[in-house]
Amino acid sequence: MTDPMIRLDGATKTFPGTSTPAVDALSLEVPTGEIVVFVGPSGCGKTTTLKMINRIIEPTGGTITVDGVDVRDREPHLLRRDIGYVIQQIGLFPHRTIAQNVATVPRLLGWDEDRTRARVDELLVTMGLDEELGARYPAELSGGQRQRVGVARALAADPPVLLMDEPFGAVDPIVRGRLQVELLDLQARLRKTIVFVTHDIDEAIHLGDRIAILNVGGHLEQYAPPEDILREPATPFVEEFLGPERGLKRLALRTVADLGELGLGNCVQADASVEEAAQVAAEHQERWIGILDGDRLRGWAWVSDLDGARRAGDVETSLFRVALSAEDTLRAALDGLVRSRTGVAVVLGPDQRYDGMITLARLNQAMVS
Amino acid sequence: MSPVLAQASGGIRWSWIGDNLDDIWEATVEHLWLTGIAMVVGFAIAMVLSVLAIRYRRLYGPITATTGVIFTIPSFALFFVLAPFTGLTVLTAEIGLVLYTLLVLVRNTVAGLDGVPEDVKEAARGMGYTRNRLFLEIELPLALPVIIAGLRIATVTTVGLVTITALITFGGLGRFILDGLQQNLFVPKLVVGAVGPTVLALVLDGALLLVQRALTPWSRRAAA
Repeated sequence: MTDPMIRLDGATKTFPGTSTPAVDALSLEVPTGEIVVFVGPSGCGKTTTLKMINRIIEPTGGTITVDGVDVRDREPHLLRRDIGYVIQQIGLFPHRTIAQNVATVPRLLGWDEDRTRARVDELLVTMGLDEELGARYPAELSGGQRQRVGVARALAADPPVLLMDEPFGAVDPIVRGRLQVELLDLQARLRKTIVFVTHDIDEAIHLGDRIAILNVGGHLEQYAPPEDILREPATPFVEEFLGPERGLKRLALRTVADLGELGLGNCVQADASVEEAAQVAAEHQERWIGILDGDRLRGWAWVSDLDGARRAGDVETSLFRVALSAEDTLRAALDGLVRSRTGVAVVLGPDQRYDGMITLARLNQAMVS
Repeated sequence: MSPVLAQASGGIRWSWIGDNLDDIWEATVEHLWLTGIAMVVGFAIAMVLSVLAIRYRRLYGPITATTGVIFTIPSFALFFVLAPFTGLTVLTAEIGLVLYTLLVLVRNTVAGLDGVPEDVKEAARGMGYTRNRLFLEIELPLALPVIIAGLRIATVTTVGLVTITALITFGGLGRFILDGLQQNLFVPKLVVGAVGPTVLALVLDGALLLVQRALTPWSRRAAA
């Protein structure tokens, strides 16, 4: 295993004039190239912990290393130029254009102009921002655009580490969802080590490779991948913090592809006999049967309607209205099957090829095994 | 102008103005100098006081209280309090003028610097700005609209006060008022002494507004 990018060893912060530490001897390691989310209620010290990493807040005890170097061995302003930093209010410089904002750290590092300009152009493209936005001032942009500029600015000097303090907290839920997806896409390409602070457990589950759930005083309740935390909350506090619908949240973390081979399910070919169709349906304890044309799913029919027909395909079929693909989440699969008359969710592969169907029992099996 | 016409316009010799443009111009330039020196020195002192007030918060109260008290002293009185020490000189005039600029300039500079959003400062620090660079490149430019607003008020006030310092220095456009009063209310001189500084104040105010717009293009685009 490679060395962790960030290591907290007994990190402690006691603010002047207070007796109880805001963060009390917190130890954890942030693996290189992963997104670690600090989550917890107000006063749990998640933001304080984040800000100790780049010494915006000076630790009063313990050791914090970034890339193997104790942060206190470096000049704060030099340390910070090597660490990307995004805050909730973004803090774009209102008197500088978007391009100048993005160029902030390269300028501080003394890059020459050509290199800086090339990097700015590249980042605007990476963040899906129009090139002409570069000449605008921050006040002329929408909230979502400003947030993207904030991330672009943090990435400008290509730092290995990114600290993000509730970066999507101030945008509306729709934009937030989009920015989360964009961050994951970006991360898939850039593989930064990201420490992300939020109070929103759903955001944490969505984004984190690992989640650190903190309680008041910087007490670490659990530190594990989201799937593990949802399956086995370590403490009653974690369980309560995760809230209801833990099962649904876990379903949201997995995809249809994770289920593997689904099998044919409650289906017969159109040329199968009515007796065979009735038998398959009975085996599945269903009163309907799916009708296939080779690897295409034609639809479904009530078994009772087959009376008097010779072949299963001779009767009128209804269409399956919900069809999933491999990358859909299991939560979407559950949603599909509860809305379906047949109580299953159909999975289609490339070219509408029939790949099988998901039943409630199958989902249940995946969750408990 | 014929004597008849002069009579027709109420006996006021407006032609005096046309005949003495050189004098008036010279006095105007002098007026500008007296104003300019006061503004430059006042601004420099105000900047130092403002930075002190920002870095050491407890100084802000005493600084504004002191400059506030000075501001309430009638100018007439202030100049003649200073005169025994520095004589009836330009120095006396300038000391008074500078003192009067301080209240407005310090208040506006501190307000401007205080108005720089906390998140902007934190982002700057988080990206590796040193304290001095943060002040010069971020805080000062962002405070500029409010600072210049203070400069405009102080400049207009100072142009008016320079008229009064003619009592001490006999310089600037104010001396025409003194002359006019001594010459049996010679109206053209009184008019030049009164209207001149007014025009000057308007022109300087407008010029500073243009300077502000040139220096802070972002603030107008933002409002649009």
